[in-house]
Amino acid sequence: MAEYRAEVVIWMLSGTLSLVMMLVWMAQAAAAPGGQIRGYSAPEFATYFLSTWLVSQLLVVWVSHELDFQIRQGTLSPQLLRPVDPMWLHVASHVAERLVRIVPLLALVGVFTWLSGASFTREWWAYPAALGLAALGFSVRFLYEYAIGLLAFWTESSASFQEVVWLVYAALGGMFAPLAFYPEWVQRVAVWTPFPYMLGLPAQLLAGKATLAQAGRGALVLLVWLAVFWVVRLIVWRVGLRKYGAVGA
Amino acid sequence: MRRYLRLVRIFVGATLSAQLEYRANFLGAVLASLGEVGVALLGISILFGQPGVTEVGGWSFREALLVTGFFMLTEGVISVFIQPNMSKIAEAVRTGNMDFTLLKPIDAQFNVSTRNLNVLRFPDLLIGLGLIGYAASGLVVTPGGVLAALVLYGSAVVIVYCIYLGLSTTAFWFVKTQNVTELFSGVFGAARFPVAAFPVPVRFVLTFVLPVAFITTVPAQALTGALGGGLALASPLIAAALFLATRWFWRYAVASYTSASS
Repeated sequence: MAEYRAEVVIWMLSGTLSLVMMLVWMAQAAAAPGGQIRGYSAPEFATYFLSTWLVSQLLVVWVSHELDFQIRQGTLSPQLLRPVDPMWLHVASHVAERLVRIVPLLALVGVFTWLSGASFTREWWAYPAALGLAALGFSVRFLYEYAIGLLAFWTESSASFQEVVWLVYAALGGMFAPLAFYPEWVQRVAVWTPFPYMLGLPAQLLAGKATLAQAGRGALVLLVWLAVFWVVRLIVWRVGLRKYGAVGA
Repeated sequence: MRRYLRLVRIFVGATLSAQLEYRANFLGAVLASLGEVGVALLGISILFGQPGVTEVGGWSFREALLVTGFFMLTEGVISVFIQPNMSKIAEAVRTGNMDFTLLKPIDAQFNVSTRNLNVLRFPDLLIGLGLIGYAASGLVVTPGGVLAALVLYGSAVVIVYCIYLGLSTTAFWFVKTQNVTELFSGVFGAARFPVAAFPVPVRFVLTFVLPVAFITTVPAQALTGALGGGLALASPLIAAALFLATRWFWRYAVASYTSASS
């Protein structure tokens, strides 16, 4: 992974949606009477969106893209001969990439913080809590993306499914605004999904706008989803593999 | 000229028959288009849904929706016409297939720019046009405004094409260019909002450094008649200058191309 340093930085910068939203909301708050919207001033928007950007960088998963390729090109076959589930290979490469990513990531966050006037929380417990939620969120996202990638056993369009799920993740995760800004009915739907807890909640923790109790509740919800997607992934894998064998034979 | 038009017809026919073979893809592509427009609308309605907010950077909801429409339309133009072709340039350089393209008795830039189409994303174009139509129906639009918007959107498409071609042409040296175009799509995401919605220094960058403002904001302003003469003139000029520059860059890249094997 360290071989692709330039690429890693470019990929990081290309996930700019939260940065774009940050600029728009900061301008909005600056123009609003009283200098704030729903209790958020321009620097507070900067803090929130920089935090979502940071967390979303830790949650990046590209496994469905790789599975799609492997299944279509047949390069999955030699991996099946090995005694371990090929999933762990993907887990390892994702984790390794995170280690390469972290240094330039923190440097960029530092620069953006300086430019935008953001200020992160001083409570020390918020940092391990946010990191824990991000780790859980990454695991959840990895599993559902893996299941979507495996759809390539049946359909050519697994890439578009992945795109749709990304959009839902970005929207309900709170990449456009803190979740409290959303229409009432969207919020009611969102609390049943894992997305607000993997992206918005850790960001709120870093911004000093969420409590430890909320973090605990979020972790529980994520654990439930983790179990669900673990089973889903396993079923799709087993059934799909039978289908794959049928193609090769 | 007629020869090139005939070629376009043949190219379109060939890609259509190749793509319609996979019918299941269509469902996925429609889902992706709907998801995309849903998210675009959610983003803008959250922005306007806050108590006390009636305008963003001096733009009313309808006017901002116009910009969203142009954004969706441009996303469609990119994924139907531009991206499928440009992503193949790097592949052709890597595998040596570029040799055959260069040997053909037609202009190579024309060939690599028109050979492929992604018809599956065609709904994006319709959604974009629909949004523009809906937003414009609640605004005062003059025939002159429509004409100006058409011309300026034409130069917007040229600008997008040139940026993509310029970035993809670097494949002759760097082989892998997917990342660079990805970076552009990230910046292009800013085009979903009117430029006036950004802080002043960013507005400057989005207009003069990365000409994103000319792609969606300027045609929308032209449609509502809110466009000053300066920007109206600047857009076609920038398009023309970019076209000449990328044309030169393409020629230069081809001239220094030494095929995959040597």
